Amino acid sequence: MKKIPNTIIKKKYQKLIIGLLIVLVYYWAISGTGTSPTSFAQGIPHMADFIRRMFPPDFSNIGTFLLKGLETLQMAILGTTIGAIIALPLSFLAARNIMPNKFVYHTIRTFFDICRGINEIVWGLIFVSMVGLGPFPGVLALSAHVAGALGRYFSESIETVDPKIIKAILSTGANKIQVVIKGIIPQVKPAFINYILYYLENNFRAATVLGLVGAGGIGMELLTSMRLFKNQEVLTILMIMVGMVILIDRISATIRKRVVGIKTIE
Amino acid sequence: MIRIEGLTHKYEGREEEAVNNINLQIKKGESLVVIGSSGSGKSTLLKCINRLIDPTSGKIYIEEKEILNCDIHHATKIRGSIGMIFQEYNLVESESVLKNVLNGRLKYLSTVQTLFGKFSKEDIAIAKENLKVVGLGEYENERVSNLSGGQKQRVAIARALSQNPAVILADEPVSSLDPKLMKEVMDLLTTICKEKGITLITSLHFLEFAKRYGTRIIGMKEGNIVFDGLPEELTEKDIVDIYGKTKEWFLYGKTGF
Repeated sequence: MKKIPNTIIKKKYQKLIIGLLIVLVYYWAISGTGTSPTSFAQGIPHMADFIRRMFPPDFSNIGTFLLKGLETLQMAILGTTIGAIIALPLSFLAARNIMPNKFVYHTIRTFFDICRGINEIVWGLIFVSMVGLGPFPGVLALSAHVAGALGRYFSESIETVDPKIIKAILSTGANKIQVVIKGIIPQVKPAFINYILYYLENNFRAATVLGLVGAGGIGMELLTSMRLFKNQEVLTILMIMVGMVILIDRISATIRKRVVGIKTIE
Repeated sequence: MIRIEGLTHKYEGREEEAVNNINLQIKKGESLVVIGSSGSGKSTLLKCINRLIDPTSGKIYIEEKEILNCDIHHATKIRGSIGMIFQEYNLVESESVLKNVLNGRLKYLSTVQTLFGKFSKEDIAIAKENLKVVGLGEYENERVSNLSGGQKQRVAIARALSQNPAVILADEPVSSLDPKLMKEVMDLLTTICKEKGITLITSLHFLEFAKRYGTRIIGMKEGNIVFDGLPEELTEKDIVDIYGKTKEWFLYGKTGF
């Protein structure tokens, strides 16, 4: 009889153990969170009742909600811009290929990790206690988080630039700063714009949630209407929020197409 | 015009020298072609001449000025007077043709002017003129990524010309192109350099090209110069000396074009 090699048996057991581990991880996660399809099915009538009570939407305060929506947009624009301004120069110091000093590199990287590691909501709570209620702490919260996130993505983009282009610019007799301006920035510009636009959309959504901790904008209105069970107003606010997200998405897609130059595959 | 004495370079972590005790004199207006197998030291030699690589030892004189022992500011200035063309064009693909050519004028700009993209009217006129010279006058606003390989290499030539160089180093400038484009690009490059009196140093793989476009050929093997002479002086024995009887000999030396 032909003997089955040990390696095949070993591989079979390995697969079995990995399979069992995956099942265990999911069982642990499901039992820990109480995720149950039965509870979900039982909750559907309540959900339907909630949605039914939202109709028809109440437009009586639409002017205020729209203004608050615009305030949220202002928060997102300012938060993203300030975050990008902080991240841009620092990201060059956190790119391994152009920053030979390891201490500077690790310090800036850690700064980005701290900024990014703390959620916008937590930053919101910190800044609300610092400067009081309103959209201003919201702007600060978004800036802090975005500086960390953009800083990391910017520096990673810089690390992927083509060194051959840098050499070509150097060979023209350009100085080091000119090499950064003409050799590195044009290579990373499309990625930078993509990240900034992505974070603008992301920050609009984050800014609505920030309202829940008192940091201004349409989120605060949503919280108030929900607490007062004004479900028809809740629907109006949700409609404004979704509409604005779609609008930002369309505008950023247009900018991206013009600046980054996406081509259609023929 | 260019004098190289005892030039040696060893890359970190490598046991053998990439170029070993090279002594060479290149006259003004010469079209010197460097041939040899991959790894024979052709690229290293070229990159030492404009200090893209700082060699381990040796001396390089350009117009009787020693360039290896000078400070970085002076080295940058020297680099500016030497145009360089690369195998893979090394252009900023997302930028326009004109912007890429204007990079050849950076040495005339201050850092602040570069930051704001403030090229003078003269710089722009020179860049446009050089685009016409390479036959791409109508492509100035085209994005480089939309161009063909041959067109990209023409843009790279225009960038080098915009430096107003005394020397052009062309590191395997046609290796990424098909045979028809190879000839077109080499014809263009050698004609322009001849007209403008620019010294041209080209590393090439194909022997027939070396013979056609070089006024002098040097053959390199394992970092050493094993042939230095006129194209018509290159014999079958020299070719075997340079390439050995390897695949490359059959590919570049024996068959050629």
